Amino acid sequence: MKLKSVLKLSGVLALSVVVLAACGSKSSSSDSKELADKQVINWSETAELPSMDLSTATDTVSFNMLNNTNEGLYSIGKNSKVSNALATKTTISKDGMTYTFNLRDSKWSNGDDVTAQDFVYSWQRTVNPKTASQYGYLFSGIKNYDAISTGKMAPTTLGVKATDKHTLVVTLDKKVPYFKLLMGFPSFYPQNQKSVEKFGSKYGTQSKYMVYNGPFVLDGWTGTNLNWKLKKNNTYWDKKAVKLTEMNFQVSKDNTTSYNLYQSKKLDMTNLSAEQAKTLNMDKDYITRKQASTFYLQYNQKNKLFQNKKIRQAISLVINRKQFVDKILGDGSTVASGLVSTGLASNPKTGTDFAKESAVKMAASTDVTEAKKLWKAGLKEVGVSKASFSIMSEDTDKAKKTNEFLQNAIEDNLDGADVTLINIPFKSRLARSTSGDFDIVVTAWGADFSDPISFLDLFTSDNSQNGGKWKNSEYDALIKASKTTDASNPDKRWDDLVKAEKILMEDQGISPLYQMSQAQLLRSTVKGVIYNGAGVNYNFKGAYVTK
Amino acid sequence: MGKYLVKRIFYMLLTLFLVATITFFLMKLMPGSPYANQQKMTPEQLQIMNEQYGLNKPVWQQYLIYLLGLVKGDLGTSFQYSNQPVSYLISSRIGPSGQLGLQAIIFGLVIGIVIGAIGAINKNTWIDTSSTILSILGISIPSFVLAVLLQYYVGLKLGWLPIADWGGFSYTILPTIALGVGPLAETARFIRTEMVDVLSSDYIELAKAKGLTKFGVVFHHALRNSLIPLVTLIGPYTVALMTGSMVVENIFSIPGIGEQFVKSILTNDFPTIMGVTMLYSAGLVVVILLTDIIYGIIDPRIRLTGRRN
Repeated sequence: MKLKSVLKLSGVLALSVVVLAACGSKSSSSDSKELADKQVINWSETAELPSMDLSTATDTVSFNMLNNTNEGLYSIGKNSKVSNALATKTTISKDGMTYTFNLRDSKWSNGDDVTAQDFVYSWQRTVNPKTASQYGYLFSGIKNYDAISTGKMAPTTLGVKATDKHTLVVTLDKKVPYFKLLMGFPSFYPQNQKSVEKFGSKYGTQSKYMVYNGPFVLDGWTGTNLNWKLKKNNTYWDKKAVKLTEMNFQVSKDNTTSYNLYQSKKLDMTNLSAEQAKTLNMDKDYITRKQASTFYLQYNQKNKLFQNKKIRQAISLVINRKQFVDKILGDGSTVASGLVSTGLASNPKTGTDFAKESAVKMAASTDVTEAKKLWKAGLKEVGVSKASFSIMSEDTDKAKKTNEFLQNAIEDNLDGADVTLINIPFKSRLARSTSGDFDIVVTAWGADFSDPISFLDLFTSDNSQNGGKWKNSEYDALIKASKTTDASNPDKRWDDLVKAEKILMEDQGISPLYQMSQAQLLRSTVKGVIYNGAGVNYNFKGAYVTK
Repeated sequence: MGKYLVKRIFYMLLTLFLVATITFFLMKLMPGSPYANQQKMTPEQLQIMNEQYGLNKPVWQQYLIYLLGLVKGDLGTSFQYSNQPVSYLISSRIGPSGQLGLQAIIFGLVIGIVIGAIGAINKNTWIDTSSTILSILGISIPSFVLAVLLQYYVGLKLGWLPIADWGGFSYTILPTIALGVGPLAETARFIRTEMVDVLSSDYIELAKAKGLTKFGVVFHHALRNSLIPLVTLIGPYTVALMTGSMVVENIFSIPGIGEQFVKSILTNDFPTIMGVTMLYSAGLVVVILLTDIIYGIIDPRIRLTGRRN
């Protein structure tokens, strides 16, 4: 541990020297609109690219690369706006259960045509239990998926058909209000059957064992190496819109290294650690990427203490979240006002952000006097004078700091509270969360797609991931209505979801803590990179470099 | 000698078998599944996944299946890298780690011997003191601190060598120095002590009396005899460099094996954990055997079989 601190200290020292040095240097040109001669971006990744098989990929790097080298029916633009990609026209049946897509002419990088059959093949491959896809659940709602996923029906019975080369018909067995958003996620992209069969078990394990139909092709990836390239795809139907000729990716797991590379102009982007973010947040290249990921305190309803609403509220009210994100985290993360993250979805009528519209004052504010009152009353209702409980979290530095902050806030302000901390590895934490073996757990949830339901589904009483077993029949009814009776009515559905979030927050079924952000330095000459907090993070199709 | 070798190889295989067995069962005690998206999967989905990967079978059956695969040379498929065989994962990443380890050992030993010898010859002078200070510094500064400093000053500020990445020989220099300074310092200290002893022994006096040059005495007699005990140090160095280079590999963005090991444990990537553990263990037992054999050959006082020649 000591050695680690030495390392950190030297890192910080090195950084501060660099920052001071940087103060004196001239700022580079940034607002020029003229395109640079070399349209190349050097991008930093913090982890390897493990897979390019869209049926089995699980991590963000893989999904980012898949999203930029392949294309589906729609693409997801700025603020999660859905627009046509391979689809030219979408017809939705009156009952909302059948989608018919007309596809444009486009080609795979091996010269084959992209056809409706490629979608059928890809989807059937992903839902096949033998493929063991970890994202198969996203297909839930498409006809027969649930039976196929448990092996009761054949993958060929999935509700997807190619009526001709350019027409794809998808049948649902329940309404999926966010269906279009899903079509922009790589799991729903087509796959070239010929290539999958030709490469066999090697498919998607190296850049040469793969075909592409997106804006870029992958190059130089050996499956385990730390450098690879995206090159402009000359067989792409919309190649005119692609300005970059090349993107170089460099994995550096150490943020100090990537920052050094950034300074020597070997990289155009670097992710920052919290320590770096604290010193560099005034830099002109500093930006934060808000992720659709919320950290919160989950209470175990099996524990008598936490069945009491006043106790839950009291705990939430003693946490000074602003101080926590600014002083303790300092990595650009922001206070979470509720479960659904900020910037995820906006009201179909007014455009107001979901998090803002559903905000409840009680949910994330600090009021120690009120908290003390509630705590006293709560303890009395439970019939105890003292309360000992544990807060569980992971064993990372960040999780430990979070736990210590919470312990201090609770023990300092709530009389008779005795908090023990449990910091264990992620996998152990997850196992205990799911089996309900905890008092309070600090946990996070990230959205797969930009819809509030991606978060709110979690706390219905029958959800297997609801390890704290918080239950509210009104909440359950609203979530159900949003999926059934109100599914085709965007406004009503929105209201249901807003109400549900308000119930969860007023009851403090969970206490929101913070929304995660990634601080970055991004060269000011790099423009047009689209970032979304949910689903796939990056879209480089329209990116370019100015002089 | 032949008999001895057969016996040693038998013990080696036994050791590896025990390592495989113990690691396998310890690994199975870890909570959680090897699936990255476990948090979002329902218990039913997890059940289906476990069936696909044979993880629903009793542990002893999984163990037998694993052993059978191991005998056939099949290490399984990685979970972190879907579809990627563990053997490919290891073979594609062992190269850089091995090269760095080897370079660091050679660098450490050669420079360490020179510094140690110079110190011993000039015993109790300022040269000796400086070489001792150098050794103490080398031992007390951890390799990763040195790595960060080298990267910042030599890589970024002076721009003499690449900051990070893996390309040609120039990319290996900074990490080699960072890794090699520890062994260098230990070797220097060790050689100095040994040589001071040897230099005051009778046969050196005799050699001097016979009128050999100073170089001849030091090189042919003193250094040679001081080197023998050094062989015992090579084993531990190799192990240290195999396991200790993870942080340095991360700092210099080297596609090595060290970090894979840690990551595989954190993500419950069972086949990779086993694969890398077996690799490390096999490397270690082979190095130990080689050390013993070399020792027997270069030092006549040590006989492997206890039989007179």
